[in-house]
Amino acid sequence: MFDLINNLALGFSVAFSAQNLFFCLVGALVGTLVGVLPGVGTVATIAMLLPITFGLPPVGALIMLAGIYYGAQYGGSTTSILVNIPGEATSVVTTLDGFQMAKQGRAGKALAMAAIGSFIAGCFATILVAALGAPLTSVALLFGPTEYFSLMVLGLIFAVVLAKGSVVKALAMIAFGLLLAVVGSDLETGAGRMTFDLPELADGIGFANVAMGVFGFAEIIRNLEGSSEDRQLVQGKITGLMPTWDDLKSCFGAIARGTGIGSLLGILPGGGAVIASFAAYTFEKKMSKDPSQFGRGAIQGVAAPESANNAAAQTSFIPLLTLGIPPNAVMALMVGAMTIHGIVPGPQVMTKQPDLFWGMIASMWLGNLMLVVINLPLVGIWVQLLRVPYRLMYPSILVFCCIGIYSINNSPWDVVMAGVFGLVGYWLIKHDFEPAPMLLGFVLGPLMEENLRRAMLISRGSAAVFFTRPISAVLLAISALLLIVAVLPMIRKRREEVFVEES
Amino acid sequence: MGTIGVGNREMSDRIEEPQGARGRIRNAQDFWGGVVLIGLALIAFYASWDLPGMRGFSFGPGTTPRLFAGLLMLLGVVIAAIGLTTDGPAMPRFAIRGPLLVTSAILLFALMIRPLGLVVSSFLMFMFAASGSSETRWIETTLAAIALTAFCTILFVYLLGLPFQLWPRFTIGGTTIAF
Repeated sequence: MFDLINNLALGFSVAFSAQNLFFCLVGALVGTLVGVLPGVGTVATIAMLLPITFGLPPVGALIMLAGIYYGAQYGGSTTSILVNIPGEATSVVTTLDGFQMAKQGRAGKALAMAAIGSFIAGCFATILVAALGAPLTSVALLFGPTEYFSLMVLGLIFAVVLAKGSVVKALAMIAFGLLLAVVGSDLETGAGRMTFDLPELADGIGFANVAMGVFGFAEIIRNLEGSSEDRQLVQGKITGLMPTWDDLKSCFGAIARGTGIGSLLGILPGGGAVIASFAAYTFEKKMSKDPSQFGRGAIQGVAAPESANNAAAQTSFIPLLTLGIPPNAVMALMVGAMTIHGIVPGPQVMTKQPDLFWGMIASMWLGNLMLVVINLPLVGIWVQLLRVPYRLMYPSILVFCCIGIYSINNSPWDVVMAGVFGLVGYWLIKHDFEPAPMLLGFVLGPLMEENLRRAMLISRGSAAVFFTRPISAVLLAISALLLIVAVLPMIRKRREEVFVEES
Repeated sequence: MGTIGVGNREMSDRIEEPQGARGRIRNAQDFWGGVVLIGLALIAFYASWDLPGMRGFSFGPGTTPRLFAGLLMLLGVVIAAIGLTTDGPAMPRFAIRGPLLVTSAILLFALMIRPLGLVVSSFLMFMFAASGSSETRWIETTLAAIALTAFCTILFVYLLGLPFQLWPRFTIGGTTIAF
């Protein structure tokens, strides 16, 4: 217990330095600025803003990223509530009641409740992360390369099983990501692998190029396809940002339940936050005395899913910080950012760089607070952004992304690479492949390869070691089970289809 | 009964796909998706063919690329097979204008940034990208371009302190003219 308080105190002392407060604020503001743009979700926002954090010291960069993350999420829920366009799967549920509230002139309340619910959830989840961090890390330190490899397999399988869409296609995306990660010089021998003798590929494919291309540029290309958009922007001034005591009281249960559900589901890899928001909404509807209000502007229908997705977003840091395994696309972006700063995510971060570890956890809370105190009152400005027509918005995003990409290495080649991945991403979207598992595979690729090679070397070339070492065997068995459970309904459905056809 | 059932299904297929030319592939989106993945795996095999593989107990540089390429190949085959055996969406229609516009704007920026510097490149790229829209209003666009250029310059150069070259720089006959 004392350790926990000491650690949190260290974290807050790092996060509350004037410089880091400034980074967090800039991050939150810029994150909201981009996140509020319709059709630009959390992942896309973070991918686009990633480069602006690269010039900072590592702790400052991660704190700024935390700010961006919160800003992006808040911007996303603003768009959901006011325009009825969910930027991300996690805020789909928010549109149901949020937009209805906005139509009834209660947009201010919906926005405030979303932020307050998120903040309460964030406070709880921060403590949970801090409490679970230390014990899980000590478990992770016992892992050898064999166990690590199996753990990564499990993490990836989890991510695939919980994600939406076809399991096989998501697996294929992971394989594609792993393959892309292999490009470049071999770690041990230095041999150029699949570089096609291009010196630019010798260092491998830059993480930011892939992320920006697949999530940023590809989205723009797809959005350009749409006919001139007709947005149902809620007109009128947004008032009533201060919720009344009655509002708070009626939402307290919803926020508490949302936080609980979100914290639990967030630890699971994959679409933790998405499932959490759906689960919290459904649960809240069941708990409600008057379920018919849901979908017609029930304030609990905003508070519960927003608390849940924020709690889940926060606890999804647990697998990343303790095991070094990113459970979703946002965390994969975090890994990318950490790697660029020379930090290898995993259990050793906490022991070797406690200020970074705890500073980051504290800054998550801080980012959340900033959102409520500074960002929420600015909602009027953000609403103005929603009125910017797309014909001006997409060139702005393009220019911003290009400058960001170029700034990483001062290399025009990076910009071109990101453009290529934009086209790749567009193709993936068109063929209904999810880009998120690809990014996970890409981020985990080097780690997986390294551990696989080491495990095989230690076992003297016998792959059986993965099944004879108990922890590894259990992890792989769970992976196999999960895959079977995920694929079974697909097969059953197909059989049913066949059955229907024949009858 | 069986034959009638099959006939019905084929008819409903035809209703879903008025072109009828691709009617034989029932889930063209997945089928061609899988085929392209197989192609990518083949390219990876080709590119990593000359890399040494296993040496005794230890992996060579070529082992993992071929392992991952094999995995991708396998999954590509499964997806293509699913595309042949299930009903699903037809081949998606790809737009030409959007991808072309975005790609050429990006290329333009990559070519301009070194010689012309941040300010001019940002402004010109914005104007170029915006001109691709069917409803461009020039005064509005120019103002927006100026505003964005100013915003990016302040954010990247002054707030974040990144080392950007702001203005054009030319080297003529050994002397560099910088603005």
